[in-house]
This record gives sequence, structure tokens and C-alpha cells, in this order.
Amino acid sequence: MKRRTFLNALAGVCVSNVLPMSLTPAFGATPDRFLITITAAGGWDPTAFVDPKGSALRADGRGPINNYSASDIRSAGNLIYAAYPSSVLPVASDSPGHMDNFFAKHYQRLLVINGVDAQTTSHVSGSRFMWSGRIEEGFPSVGALVAAPYAGQPMAYISTGGYDYTASLVSPVKTATPATFAALAYPNSQYADSVKNRKLSYFNDSAYSAVQAARDARLARLQSSESLPKRLEQMQQLELARSSDEQLQSLLANLPATVSASVKGQAEVAVAAFASGLAASANMYVDGFDTHAGNDTRQAQSLTILFECIDHLWTQIEKAGLQNKVTILIGSDFGRTPFYNTAGGKDHWNVTTVMAMGAGITGNRVIGATSANFDALKINPSTLETHSEGIFITPKHIHRALRDFIGVSPELDRQFPIVAEPLALFI
Amino acid sequence: MKPRVYQLAACLLALFCLAGMFSSAQAATGAAVPSFVYPILHIPRIDVEGYGALDVNMVLENQTTLSLALSSAQPANSAVAPGATYDLHTGILDIPQLRMGANLYAVQLKSTGNNKFQVTQLTPIAVTGQASYTQMCAGCHGIDGLGGPVKVTLKNCVWCKDLTSLTNYISINMPLGNPSLCVNMCASEVATYISTAFNGGSNFPIASTLEAIEVMPAAETLRKASMQLVSRLPTQAEIDLANSGGDEGLRSAVAAMMEEPAFYERLDEIFNDMLLTDHYLYSNTPDGAINLMGAFPSARWYDPGATSGLRDATYTANRITTNDSVAREPLELINHIVKNNLPATEMLTADYFMLNGYSAKSYGITDVAFNNEWDAKEFRPARLAGIPHAGILSSLMFLNRYPSTVTNRNRARARVVYDLFLDVDILGLDGARPNGSAVDIISKAPTMENPDCVKCHSLLDPVASSFQEWNVRGKYAPPTKWYQDMFQAGFGNQSVPVNLSKTPLQWLASQVAADPRFDNAMIRIIYKGLTGEEPLESPGASATTAETEAYMAESSMLDAAKAQYRAENRNLKTLIREIILSPHWRADGLKDTGFALVHADTGAARILTPEMMHRKLNALFGFEWRGPLDAYSTNKNLAISARLLEPKLYFEQIYGGIDSFNVSERPTDPNGLMANVQERMANEMACYAVPNDFLAGATSRRLFPYVETSTTLLDAQGQAAVMANLQHLHHYLLGEDLALDSAELAYTYQLFATVLQDGQSRLASKVETAALPARCVRTKDMLTGVALNTAGLTTDPNYVVRSWMAVVAYLLADYRFVYE
Repeated sequence: MKRRTFLNALAGVCVSNVLPMSLTPAFGATPDRFLITITAAGGWDPTAFVDPKGSALRADGRGPINNYSASDIRSAGNLIYAAYPSSVLPVASDSPGHMDNFFAKHYQRLLVINGVDAQTTSHVSGSRFMWSGRIEEGFPSVGALVAAPYAGQPMAYISTGGYDYTASLVSPVKTATPATFAALAYPNSQYADSVKNRKLSYFNDSAYSAVQAARDARLARLQSSESLPKRLEQMQQLELARSSDEQLQSLLANLPATVSASVKGQAEVAVAAFASGLAASANMYVDGFDTHAGNDTRQAQSLTILFECIDHLWTQIEKAGLQNKVTILIGSDFGRTPFYNTAGGKDHWNVTTVMAMGAGITGNRVIGATSANFDALKINPSTLETHSEGIFITPKHIHRALRDFIGVSPELDRQFPIVAEPLALFI
Repeated sequence: MKPRVYQLAACLLALFCLAGMFSSAQAATGAAVPSFVYPILHIPRIDVEGYGALDVNMVLENQTTLSLALSSAQPANSAVAPGATYDLHTGILDIPQLRMGANLYAVQLKSTGNNKFQVTQLTPIAVTGQASYTQMCAGCHGIDGLGGPVKVTLKNCVWCKDLTSLTNYISINMPLGNPSLCVNMCASEVATYISTAFNGGSNFPIASTLEAIEVMPAAETLRKASMQLVSRLPTQAEIDLANSGGDEGLRSAVAAMMEEPAFYERLDEIFNDMLLTDHYLYSNTPDGAINLMGAFPSARWYDPGATSGLRDATYTANRITTNDSVAREPLELINHIVKNNLPATEMLTADYFMLNGYSAKSYGITDVAFNNEWDAKEFRPARLAGIPHAGILSSLMFLNRYPSTVTNRNRARARVVYDLFLDVDILGLDGARPNGSAVDIISKAPTMENPDCVKCHSLLDPVASSFQEWNVRGKYAPPTKWYQDMFQAGFGNQSVPVNLSKTPLQWLASQVAADPRFDNAMIRIIYKGLTGEEPLESPGASATTAETEAYMAESSMLDAAKAQYRAENRNLKTLIREIILSPHWRADGLKDTGFALVHADTGAARILTPEMMHRKLNALFGFEWRGPLDAYSTNKNLAISARLLEPKLYFEQIYGGIDSFNVSERPTDPNGLMANVQERMANEMACYAVPNDFLAGATSRRLFPYVETSTTLLDAQGQAAVMANLQHLHHYLLGEDLALDSAELAYTYQLFATVLQDGQSRLASKVETAALPARCVRTKDMLTGVALNTAGLTTDPNYVVRSWMAVVAYLLADYRFVYE
């Protein structure tokens, strides 16, 4: 049971009350290290991209793992990636989401961790494990941990889907539509989300200035005559909150003139929020990977969207000059079976892949591996090479390494512990 | 700071540091032992020759010389026994027993003239039980009994009201993990010590603390209560009742409000903020509740099948309604109990659960007679055959919201039972849990053998084992055997009786319901619901004087409310009513700013939740915040158009809404985004409401009963009308009653005049046109969308409409509007 503390005077949202004080930066402090997690929701098929196997028949009679030949497997630097099966019509060859383009452009910044044992085939548990590092309930997402010290910022943690449990460390802002933020950044505009019509206001400028000045003066008068400490404190908080509206306009100033739809728009909002000092972490969400039927076509379609999103995100990051400050982690609930079902789909499989790129990540690397039948292989925790006497990489190892790498505070690390062998995954 | 005190008696640190310790509701019943609470020495009764029985206060003037001055003397309560003697001839004031902190002292003072006295003797008095308390109890509860590191106070605690109960409780339960250490005589002596040292003082600090509160008038209290409970303004009849009937009139008016359907919406919110079972509402988790009903084959009775081609709008509506009917089952049980004035304990002991026509079909129950099986609001009690219902505890929603695993063995559920229904934070009982290096790998069953583990697990595991008949996902599935390496089903040190061993959860529910801490848990839930914040926690060993006095005063108030609630069959309406009537909830200011620290948290003002703001706007304007009124006929039926209820496109989540899972705590202060939501709300609602009100007939105007769109400030009549309307708006929107010549009204008048004058200049110079802003115009009927017979309201040739919009926007973003 949490009880309110006496003379509680924390600025910002109440959820920051549960933070140790040492984690609460001075009010107004802005983050300068950012994390984006991208959920490929439903369980992606690593053999359809960075852990390709080819069409050789399995010895157990279950057919091939993939519907493309092993000889068609491509490479970009040290990364290998799948060919599109012949039954799949790939996206246009000039699309940034086409695998040839995507890997050619980004392999030098991509880290691929294959053979990750998700230890579950449940969507709920898999998603929780992948993004919190613990399969049990009650552990916050890594995005929440990164944002927690900035809980006083109005949108420290942006989440547009996926596992975003915060353990009340920080309130996730789930509204990430630019139109919503525009409505709040320009509260006097009738058509805030239209740059062209934004000037059409409810009140003319002088009238609105008079209203705002009257509001400010009224709040000051109320404060001067208030004798109840609690109400006085509330008035002071209200005055403080009203003073921060310039930040939202800064967010809009950092957005492209025309914000993209769907997941690309999510990327633009997240990067603009980082550049404005309003956010520290963001969840992005690409659906469509739960391919129990028509696996090849639907995985290819969803991967195209995902790769276009990542490419667009990286472009935004570079435009904002944040490439040395934003780290991106991309993962899924689990993997898919190394064989097809009768509907041409693939069901749930515990072996999966995690990718990372961005600030601090050494790209053009592949860590971990799977067998010819797409079973996870153990690795030597020191050398990270496969080793039959080693350990399986699990999401907890990834989070242990990620926390150490990105600097989750020791207090939060103790509060939500992850005990796992330290692996030098992120260097 | 007080060196002389240490020099005189080292053990008297408590004398000046532990001020405020002697106040308790129990003390108010007549305990007579004099007490010292810095800086006041209080003698409830002293008989002085020639003066009779006096109740005397003295104030410490000099901490170095320990000199005090008489500050007040009034006739004493004759039922109180004298606690001191005064010899007029020698000038010696003798106090055989003076309480200071947890200690007793024999004190003698000598008159130095001019009603001043100096301490001449100060001798500690040994108290039976003190040594045992210090050795076995103080580590957790603090040497002063105020809570210590675990913040579980013994001041006015639930068992401290009578010595026998306290003795028995100590004998059976304390110290945690090893109650055999203190039984019989030891328990009796410790109980006596706790009773006398922590619960036997005077109540004067509470009285003075409460008297410092300026209580809001009855009508204002009623408005606030009405908005809180039923999201509407009080009627004139209710106002008259409150004004003429004093507190009893107010009680009657508030009680009547709690019979309205709107009250039960609010009650849902209050309890869901703690239970969080609304996580399964369709809007939070699509099919969230139905997905939990794998054991019920007709759960999706409404679904004709994906390939049937029959999944139409009715299917969608039934799907959502059924899901939400199942999800709301535990909250509907609470509603049923409160509606029917049943004791709150029935939320645990009910041998039934609640269904409406939709959820009955999902559960496959056909023997419940509904007046209208398609009325989603008609919930009735029902039973599942072969299921030993235990109120909320056996609810499918509760059991899944707090699930278990094969290794957790229901301990998470047990923790929640302690938290929600016993007001005990079991994880806080003994500080930090062992870290990785301290895990006991030697004991076969550490939770039963290692004393460090047993402290908590002896409480937690019997409750956890009592859930054994329900599996990890809430299905009733009695196990063939239960784990033997954990404490077996029970509660405290009691095991489930053998004849009830097949229904341990029902037995547990009855035990929890009978536990006096259950009432504390209800107080916590209701108080948080009505104020947005939890009751003050026990102050603990490091508390300041102000913190201690604040806790004492608030707990005294809550105890009084609890006593009334218990006297009225544990009716939650009583609890709500009494808290609303309390000076803490009605606090409108402080008479004495010297109490500012003590009353730092006093008062019920809170920022409105998005749901409350949504309802308030509707109550005041007659429409919800859903965009322009010309499109309202369509928008009013769309869930996605409600600006304060929709989380993704609009502002519900930004404005502090919860989804009962990822976001489960409501903010108590606004952030920058919330301030912007307020500003947009004020601007938009002013734009919609002002033209709408001017379109209304004279008798149905809410906002502008005194002016027309042609009323300007050109003449005295117009000026007077505007002023009268401003007065009305301040009252109607903010609840402020301002005199026509008040400065506050003059400021608002000035705003109106400024905007009007400037606007008319802009019209004259053609900088601006007569057209109203596009989203403010009215050409259609708000409810039907049909074109208005009249010309509607699209222009503002005098700039009056826009000037009133400015005034209304000014008022809607005011502190007194966005807080309630």
C-alpha cells in the first residue's frame, strides 16, 4: 500500500511520487539519451529475414523451413538475409523497405542477435519478457525505466502500443497523433492540425491576450488570498503547468510540415519529442506478424512496413542530429515454427531474433545462432561464440546488457532486478 | 536546540521532540492524566481551593529554566478525576503522573508568582509492560508507538479500544513470526502499557487543530458534494434544506443524492480506482472479460461465427455490452450492496455474484428473473451451481486481475486481500525483502522455518492457501492436494475449521469481514475516492510535531465517521456522508495561519478527473465536449468523439485517465499537457456554449438570463445587466457568491469591456467581420441535426457574443472550475 507522503511537493505528474528522490532530476531537466523500442507484434519469422535457412526439407518430414533456396540467401557485410520466396511479390525495388535496399543502407549500423530463446509461445508472456526482461508480471518496460527519471516531463514516455507497463514510474503518453498535440499546442486555433488554417482562431489575438492576462491575474489574486495550504499549493502547481506550453510548440516546430500517416508518423512524433526535450523514450508498434496463415506473403508485407518505418525513423533521427543519442531496439513476441502448417502459415515458436541500431551500437555484427532446424544454440558468455556447454541467450540477458549499456539507474535496477550472466551485446 | 532538557533528564528527549502524541479519540472519552505536548502542559482537572475544579493549560516559556506560564483555566469536566493538586500556601503544584511521549513522570512545579511556575522535580515512573514493549515491539512500532519503521501505529489502533481484545491479539499474533514470546501475563502487561502510554492522553491538540479550520457554508458544501457524487448542481429544494436544516439538513440532502443512478457511476469509479477490474472493459481491453471465460461454453452467445456473414451491428453491440457486463460484475456487487443498504462486509461474504441479461447468457444461467433481459443496467444476484461464492474474492475478474502462478501459489492474491480489504501493506511489514545473497537455501521450507521469512509468510500464506480451490486463472478447480511446504489455509493464527475445509475462501472472507481492519480499508477507499488522496499514514518515529498533530486530527475525524458507519450497519453511504460533513472535507481556509503546517494536506479540493470534468461540463451546459454543436447530433452517439473519455485521438489519457492496468494512479497535479487541455476545453466550450445559450428561450437560459446579444455598455441599463450577468456566471460556473460591488466582479467586467471595445473597433475598421468563428456558429438543432427554423446564430454584429465567449473561456480555465 502506498501512502501519500506528508507535504508532498513534487512537480509534474503524481506517478513520479514513487521514484527515489535521487532519480528525480531538477524540475525542467531534459533528457539527452533516448531509447526507441519497436515491437513487431504477433511474433515475427526471423528465417524470413536475418536468420535465413532455405528450402531444404527437414529430416523429420515436416517440409522446408523456407520457400526460397539457400543459394538465394543474400548478404550485406557480415549480415545475411533471406530472399523473397517466389510466391511473394516484393515491394517495389526502390522502396526503402525492400530488403536489398534496407540492408544495403543500414547493415553497418545493425546489430543482429539470433537464437534468442523467448521461453514462451504466449503473446502476452512473450511480449512482457521481450520488453521488460522478466517473464513474470509486474516489471516495467525498459522504455519506462529509461523515462522514469524524467517523469515530470509531460510526455517522457511515448507509447503507441505493445508492452508499456510502467509500474507507475511514469505515465505513458499513448496519444501520439500530431493532430492531438497540435490541438494542445494551439488551443486558440479552430483548426490546429492544419498549418494552412491554423490562424483561424476562436479569439482574435488581442482578445485572447486579454483573456490570458485576466486568467493569470485571477490566479495570482486567488493565491494571495488563499489560506488553505493544500489549495495554495494546487494553485502554484497550476501556474507552473501553465508556464510550460512553449514546449509543445517546440515539438510541433520539430515535426515535418506534413506529418506522415501511421507508424511513420509515430516515428516523426517520437523524434520531435526527443529534439524538444519532452520525451526520453518511445514505443513504436508494427502489427501483422501473427501469420498462422499465408506466412510468406504476410511476413514480407509486415517486414516491408517495419523496414520502411526503421528507415524513416533513422532519417528523422539524422535530420534532428540525434544519431549519437538515440538507441533503437527492435524485437517481437517470439518466433515462428520452422515449418509450415496446412494453411501455409507458421505457428508460435520460442526462438527469435532481436536487432539494435543507433547510438552506441556497433553494427555489422551478428551474435548468436540457430541450428539448421532453427533451434537456439548456446553461446559462450565470454566470447559470445556458439558453444555446446554455454548458455542460451534469453530476453533477460538482452535486458541485463541493455540496462548496463544505456544506464538505467541503480535504484531502479535494484527495485526491478534482472539476474543474468552479463553479455557484451551492446558495445 | 534544547540542551537544558538533556541536562536535567536525558531520557526526556521525548518531552519536547514528541509533541502531539497524546491526542486520540479514545482520550476524548474522559482519561484524566495530565500531559505535556510541547509547548502545552494540560491538566484536565485540578481542584484548587476557592476556585473549584479547573481544566488548566500552561505553556512552556523557557526551555532552559523549564518555566511555564498559566495560559488558560476553565471549569473542568466533573466526571474526570483530579490529576494534580495545588497547595495555595506553599505554591507547589504536584502532578503524580504526567505523560510525556511514551513515558510517565512525577512532576512538581513551584509558583514563581504572576501565574508562572518552574519545574523543581522530574522523576521517571516505571510502567508495567514498558520493558517488554521496548524489547519486542518498539523495533517495528517505534518507541513512541507512532509507527516506527513499518508505520503501523499503536495510537488509536483497531485493537487498542479495549484491553481484553488487545491482550488477546498480542497473545495470538505478536511478535510476528514468534507469538509464543509474549503470551498471558506478558501480553496483558504490554497491552496495558500500549493502552496507557499511547492511548490515554488528552484530546486538546485535536480540538484546537480542528477549530483552526474554516468550514465552508452549507450551500457551498452541498454544491461540492453534488458535483462529486451525482455530477449536477443541487436543486433549490436541496439548497433550502441544507441552509435551513444545518448539518442534519445537509445530511439529508446528501443522503438523497446517493439514491440517484448517477451516484453509482461515481461509486464504480471510486472502487475501480482500487480494484482496477475495469482493465477488462472493452474500451481498455477488447474482449478482455470474455476472453477469461474459457470454462463457459456459451460465453460468446452473441457470435454467429466468422463465416456466417451475420456479424452485423447488433453482434458488435452485444459483444461489447456482454463483455462489459461480465467485467463490471465485482463493481456491480458493490453497487448492489450500497443500493440496498447492506453492510459493506457483504462484498466479501456474498454467496452470490451479479449478472444482467447479457452476462447471464455468457455464464449459461437461466434461472434469474430479469424485468428486461436486454437492459444492461439491470443486475441481479445469481449463483453458479457448485461454486462456493465468496463475494469479490471469488470473482473471475478479481482472480484474473490478480493472477497467480504455480510458484506464487496465490501469494499475490493474498497481498491484495491484505492491501484492499485489511489496509495492511504486507510487503512493508518488515522492511526490505532479502536480496539475492540472503536467500535461505538451507531450510527445507524457509517460509515456515526461517524466522525472517516467517514474519510475513505466517500472515500471507494462510490467506494464499485459502485461495487453493481457484486455479491460477480464476477457475474453480479444487486441487487433489495442496502444497505442504507452506502455511495451510487460515487467517492470522487461526486455521480453517475442519468442517469448512472444503470452502476455505468463504471462511477467509468471513474472517476478513469480521476483522476491525476491514473498516479501515473501507475508510481508505472512500476517503481516497472523495479527496483524490489517501489518508495520512502513521507518522512514524521521525515525524515532526506538525505531522503528528495532522495525523491525530485526521484520524480522529475518520474515527468519528467510522463509528457512525458501524452504528449504521456498515453502510458505505454513511461513511461517504460523514466524511463529506467532516471539517476536513469542508475546509475552506484556516482561521489561524499558525496551523499551516499541521493543515498542509487538509481539504478535499482536487483536480477533476477526465470523467468528472466530462460530466461537469454536461451538467452545466447541457451538452458534452464533443466538438461543434452543429455536428453534435452525430457526435453524441460516437464513443470516439468524447474529448475527455477517448484516450487515443483525444485527451482522456493525457488528462489523467487510467486504463486500470498500465496507468493505475491518477495525477494529483496537472502537467503542461493537462494545462493545455484545460485551455482548449475553455476556448471550445465557450465557443459552443455562448451562442447556444443566446439561442435558447429566456426561461431556459443557463448562462445569460440578464443580457441579449444586443446588450452593450453604452448606457447604465446595459452596464447593470452585464454586471448582473457576470455575477450570475461567477455563481453558476464557479460557485462564487460575489457582491455587485466586489473587486472580483469588477475585474471580470473589465475583461468583458476590453474585449467588447476592442472588438467593436475592429469591426469598425473592418479588421474583423461580424461572422462568428466557423466552429461556433449555430444553424442546426443540436440534438436532431435538423436545420433550425430561425436563422440560427452565425453573426455577431455588436461583438457581444464574442465578448461573452471571452468571459466564459476565462472562467472555465479558472482554478475553481478545473478543481472541485
